[in-house]
Amino acid sequence: MRRLLFALLLAVACRPTADRLSVPATAHRIVSLAPSSTELLFAIGAGEQVVGRTTWCRYPAAALRVPAVGDGLNPNVEAIAARQPDLVVLYRSQMNETAAQQLARLGIPTVTLAQDRLEDIAHAARELGRLTGHQPAGDSIGAAIETLLRAPTPATIARVTFVVWDNPPMVIGGGSYLDQLATLAGARNVFHDIAGASATVSIETIIARNPDVILVLSDSTAPPAYSARREWRAIRAVREGHFIMLPGDLFGRPSPSAPAAVAALRHALEVRK
Amino acid sequence: MSTVAPLLSVQRVTYRYPGAPGDALRDVSLEIRAGEFHAVLGPNGSGKTTLVRVALGLAAPATGTAEIAGRAAVAWSRRDLARIVGVVAQREDNLFPQQVRETVLLGRYPHLSLWGAERPVDREAVTRALERCDALGLADRWIWTLSGGEYQRVRLARALAQEPSMLVLDEPTASLDVRHEMDLFELARGLVDAGGLAVLMITHHVNLAARFADRVLLLADGQTAAQGTPRTVLTRETVERVFAWPVAIEPFDGHPQMIPLRQRRQPREPA
Amino acid sequence: MRRWLGLAGLVALALVSAVVLGPAHVALGDLTSSEIVRSLRVPRALLALLVGGSLGVAGASLQALVRNPLADPFLLGLSGGAGLGAVLAIALHVAGPWALPLAAFVGALGAMALVYRLGLVGGAQLDPRVLLLAGVAVGAFTGAITTAIVSLAEAADLRNAFLWLWGGLSGASWDTVLVIAVYIPVPLVVLYAAARPLDLLALGEEPATHLGADVEPLKRRVYIAASMLTAAAVAVSGVIGFVGLIVPHITRLVWGHHHRALLPAAFLGGGALLLFADTVARVSVAPRELPVGIVTALVGVPLFAVLLRRWMGPRG
Repeated sequence: MRRLLFALLLAVACRPTADRLSVPATAHRIVSLAPSSTELLFAIGAGEQVVGRTTWCRYPAAALRVPAVGDGLNPNVEAIAARQPDLVVLYRSQMNETAAQQLARLGIPTVTLAQDRLEDIAHAARELGRLTGHQPAGDSIGAAIETLLRAPTPATIARVTFVVWDNPPMVIGGGSYLDQLATLAGARNVFHDIAGASATVSIETIIARNPDVILVLSDSTAPPAYSARREWRAIRAVREGHFIMLPGDLFGRPSPSAPAAVAALRHALEVRK
Repeated sequence: MSTVAPLLSVQRVTYRYPGAPGDALRDVSLEIRAGEFHAVLGPNGSGKTTLVRVALGLAAPATGTAEIAGRAAVAWSRRDLARIVGVVAQREDNLFPQQVRETVLLGRYPHLSLWGAERPVDREAVTRALERCDALGLADRWIWTLSGGEYQRVRLARALAQEPSMLVLDEPTASLDVRHEMDLFELARGLVDAGGLAVLMITHHVNLAARFADRVLLLADGQTAAQGTPRTVLTRETVERVFAWPVAIEPFDGHPQMIPLRQRRQPREPA
Repeated sequence: MRRWLGLAGLVALALVSAVVLGPAHVALGDLTSSEIVRSLRVPRALLALLVGGSLGVAGASLQALVRNPLADPFLLGLSGGAGLGAVLAIALHVAGPWALPLAAFVGALGAMALVYRLGLVGGAQLDPRVLLLAGVAVGAFTGAITTAIVSLAEAADLRNAFLWLWGGLSGASWDTVLVIAVYIPVPLVVLYAAARPLDLLALGEEPATHLGADVEPLKRRVYIAASMLTAAAVAVSGVIGFVGLIVPHITRLVWGHHHRALLPAAFLGGGALLLFADTVARVSVAPRELPVGIVTALVGVPLFAVLLRRWMGPRG
């Protein structure tokens, strides 16, 4: 009797996770629930195999032709299932764990990938390459990013801060991929000491840390609206108009274009001098 | 018939609440002069409180006139009216804790200017009002520590702090015990006799009204059933008709007292 | 007299600490010449004083108006209206540095008008209980619309708009202080003039009328003035809760229910509380900053629990 019980426990404990068990050799109908993975899939040449994306997935332009299955933040399992996927790519987060379990119950295999930092993209590129039958392309992108990360850190040519919102003032911290891009481009994020991806700070802290340039994620060239406000103009970089606009297609998410993004940022910083 | 001008004069008023099927008041008149104690009696829903509202200008009559000190009641500003008439309403819901002196001081509002502070004359008026109500000893107590009877005296003191010429009391003795009831009626009578105030009291207490009031108005269904001295109003026929209950009228101390009789009833058959 | 000196001292201490303390280190000797102090800390401290004071007075007045000591200026749906206004401004790409506060202000006033209309039962009378219910309903309604817009729209900016609504004084500048300083005296004066009648209103509407108060105009004036103060506060600093709820209670412990003393005390007390809370928000997790609404709640809730026991105690 005890042996039977033990065997049962062993069987339950060793039950493999869904994605290991039934992930197909090559996925042909992929639903991607994060902009980074969508971009990656197209980048490795698996664009034709993508049958579902979120409404936030807008790069590259070809992705717009793929039907959307919701905003992806709280995955709509029904809409996803309606696309009859054989693989769903999820971004690693608490909410998506539940979605993964729900999809598994429907018999749909999932793979959960961290997509916060550049090294995650390298790993994701290789993994997605393997899963979609585009291994060489995936490995190549992964290697390019790994090479970028392994390169010696260039000397700092500017002290920067990324301001993503003005009221309350929010800046990018050391945990974000943007911080990584900055470091690789020779810029030092004055808020690198903040562990998280972003944080709310006082304007006076920005003044005290005195960045040379303010980096803004924006597709337009006009300076941000807050640059006209009196309290923001107390910051030297705002007063003197030292802004660099970072277009969304290169900088909006951790992406396989990271090497190009770093080069663009470095160029912008050098030209500024 | 006195030649002094009446403080309160309601002439043949008719009033209907919006949307009501019938008149709340029909052709009712009332005149009150200084130094008179008037009681308004009647069964529930006979229009007693409505009469007071119309008399004080809170509701405009459909026909007839309501005047205070010779001017239409609705024409008075609330502040000016509060200098002449002090009202102790049926219910008060004082949420916030206060001391007695503070709550009586509220009665000085009609005499205070918009921006000015309370003056010594106001504090004196409060002390005087508390004295007249035999409540000076309660002055520094918190109102939630007062008994029902004590609280009523404090409310009366607040109305007196307004230094009015007339007091209107709406069922002031409801839920008071015998001692506090007698206290209050004696107090009201004393204010009329010594202070020359006019008092209008709505009450259910027919017998005390008969002993203390100078004149009585008995309402039934919004109409005047009888009006005059207690002796002329409180006759057995009238009272039985208005209250729909058999009574005996016995004199006490020169005033008619109403004694409700038991109905003769067959004992119930066990089911 | 001593109480007022104590309160004034508290306000002075709060102002000084707000100017001297901060995430960026400014030496005492450099205070007058520092750009940070002149352009950021001083206007922010003044704004905290004015906004906290406005919320304190609005709270005290509203508690007297609806005859409920648990009323808070944000119970009347204004924050929902402000949020909706702000989100619409962003969604419609309204430009300009003052776009957000103005839109929030207009939204708050819209909510005020709607709640007022709903509160008018039977034509002309404003029923305070209905006012409260209408406020909660309008708040929920506008909140739902706002959430719907944000979740359906595609701009990331819209999600950040909610952060603004959480409350913060980071938008403080001399311009903001000037606007608020010019705006609030009128509603404050209106409420101070209503102070004595509010004492009467505590007895109930009927007794107040008999004591000489013009109750209907009074309710209207108090509601509109208190709402205008709250709308301005939300427009410049989002929803900062608990100040309008707690400060009147604390000041009542010392000054009682005499509104002519209570309202000014609530102004100073509210200002001091918000100043201290903002200093804590700026300094406690430097270089990061806490939303000041969180600090007022963290301070306010235990304080409120203590007060509640004291309040229920004598009456129990």
